[in-house]
Amino acid sequence: MAVLTAEKPKTAARAANRRRRVSPVLLAFVLVPLVVEGFWVFWPALQGFYLALTNWDGVSAPTFVGLGNFAEMFSDDIFKTAALDTVIWLVLFGGLSAAGGLALATLLQKERRGVGFYRAALFTPVVFSLVATSLIWQVIYQPDGVFNKVLGAIGLESWQHSWLADPKTALYAVLVPALWRQLGYVMVLYLAGLKGIDPALYEAAKLDGATAWQQFRNVTWPQLRSVNSVVLSVIIIDSLRSFDVVWSMTKGGPYHSSELLSTYMYATAFQSLRLGYASALAVVIFVLAFGVIVTYLVRAFREDS
Amino acid sequence: MTSAGLSRRRFLRNASLAGLGAVGSGSFLAACATATSSGPVKQAAGAVTVQSNLSSPEAKKAIEALAKAFGDKGGATATVNTVASETFRTQLPSYLTAANPPDTFTWYPGSLLSGYARKGLLLDVSDVWQGMGDYSAAFRALSGDGAGHQVFIPTSYYWWGFFYRKSNFAKWGVQPPTNWTEFLALCETLKGKGIAPIGLGAGGTTPWTASAWFDYLNIRINGAPFHRELLAGKQRFDDPRVKKIFDPWRQALPYFDPNGTAIAFQDATTVLLQGRTGMVLTGTFFADAAPKDALDDLDFFQFPILDPAVPVAEEGPTDGFFASARTPHVAEVKEWFSYVATAEAQELYIKNSSGTVLPTNPSAKDTGTSLVQKGRKMLADAKEITQFFNRDSSDALQPTADAALIRFIQKPNELDSILADWQTAAQKVWQS
Repeated sequence: MAVLTAEKPKTAARAANRRRRVSPVLLAFVLVPLVVEGFWVFWPALQGFYLALTNWDGVSAPTFVGLGNFAEMFSDDIFKTAALDTVIWLVLFGGLSAAGGLALATLLQKERRGVGFYRAALFTPVVFSLVATSLIWQVIYQPDGVFNKVLGAIGLESWQHSWLADPKTALYAVLVPALWRQLGYVMVLYLAGLKGIDPALYEAAKLDGATAWQQFRNVTWPQLRSVNSVVLSVIIIDSLRSFDVVWSMTKGGPYHSSELLSTYMYATAFQSLRLGYASALAVVIFVLAFGVIVTYLVRAFREDS
Repeated sequence: MTSAGLSRRRFLRNASLAGLGAVGSGSFLAACATATSSGPVKQAAGAVTVQSNLSSPEAKKAIEALAKAFGDKGGATATVNTVASETFRTQLPSYLTAANPPDTFTWYPGSLLSGYARKGLLLDVSDVWQGMGDYSAAFRALSGDGAGHQVFIPTSYYWWGFFYRKSNFAKWGVQPPTNWTEFLALCETLKGKGIAPIGLGAGGTTPWTASAWFDYLNIRINGAPFHRELLAGKQRFDDPRVKKIFDPWRQALPYFDPNGTAIAFQDATTVLLQGRTGMVLTGTFFADAAPKDALDDLDFFQFPILDPAVPVAEEGPTDGFFASARTPHVAEVKEWFSYVATAEAQELYIKNSSGTVLPTNPSAKDTGTSLVQKGRKMLADAKEITQFFNRDSSDALQPTADAALIRFIQKPNELDSILADWQTAAQKVWQS
């Protein structure tokens, strides 16, 4: 509309015509979702930012404490554990699912007999809810569960372990089912990307005598740039919001060893009923996700143009 | 420009008028946590809505039978709205502060209840209590808000103890112990037979079961009054008296099932019934998961006395109902409360549930099994009744206990730093 009012007088007739066409329906199409979005998304989010500056138990009126909640994080050991675990999670979950998904996609991109079966099999875990997935894995990790039985059967009794109960292994044990599920998803994204590459580029590369690695390095990888930014955004968001799998398997325990920022935020909000501090944690998570993604996307698009 | 600006302003005004209540507590975190939606509760005209967290099949069946019988009497009716326990707990503040709340809630007495009562969110049901006859003074005190009003209707309670299978104890040739020395000797005997003497189900999502050990050791050594003060924030977790209770725990620790912190209490029940652990310190609710034929084989013994000079206290968690102060159906709610407090209603509930809970109405009959008789007598003989860690303190404090106690079981040598960390974590909860 700013554009419309800036129109020059000599095109006023056309502008009026256009305005008449734009106004009622299109405006409704823009404004109604904006109002809905504003009411259900932006307004609560703004409230969250406000609550981060308060102490609130969910029942009484919030009391304003300024940046007190953020200051508290500096002396909060559990916050430090959770932040560190989130970084580990981001690197391992993000890194392995991106690398693994790409590897699987390159492996399974060529149409061969039975390749559809493998693709479907790898994609199947994505269909299950993470809560159901983690319940299954909880059984697998049991002291006398499948995992320990297999270790025993192949002569690795000394490796048998209470995987979810040991603070040294809990985080990594929880990471496996999350990864198991994410791999298929990333694979599908990369498959779509690989399908979009012009086969002529490979033919040209082959004519120039490029090895498989050279083809990947100089054709596939540069062509995947737009997919990469999608994958990066997806895995950063997914790792920062990873919650259900951890909560349903360990609740962040034993003694906070598998605590992520998201589980810590939930526990602080709904178990300890410290909704102000929890909102401050939510703000930290938001800033992390937003910061990383925006930085990357801005750079990626600048390179494009 | 103008119209967009106008509608935005109008939106903001509308939002601030209508939205605050709706957006208030649940959705602001939705960006990150997966919020469980449980929208406004539909109000049937004249029917009392009972928001229930009794989601285990038998308890759900029992409370629905209760609501049906209430409706069949003529007069007001009740509709049960069963919500998953975790959702119920996290949504309770939203329910109570909503403009149009559910009328009544299943809950338990304790600090959370008195907290809500102080904030004026609970319905005063003192007049219902006047018609409730000879309920014991203990239940009356438990249901008060501390300012002379009754805000809670207790309907059932249960007990804790060391549960074991009679057939297994007979097979192993052992007797239930009567004191701590005999208890340790029993553990030693069982260990010698290759059985993990003490089962524990503090893994997965049930680390809170470890708090039973803390509660019992504390009420046996420091007594119930100190225990309550500690849980109310009037004593410190790094107090030498608290430290002392971990000495007997250390003695018992070698006899704990090494998988105790890796399995949830449901699995610990299974392991006990299979005879791979000797006994489990638990509440009678674990019987909900036991097969019916195993129920007759179960017995329990009291947590051994450690200091005969300390008046005996037992854990006797009580369950019941409270109502929202904002309910539009005050008369119907009170009719419902008067009904659930009757012997007839409590017997109906017990008949439809797994049958291991005790009725609070003194003239209501329990299931009459020897197990239930024994449990009832143990609680009746106790000088003091405590609830449970999270009920005597708060749900907010429970996670601090979980972290501390699981760490103690796994790393008993770090006790000093464990208790210091616990005190720090607890202080944050009390201060907020």
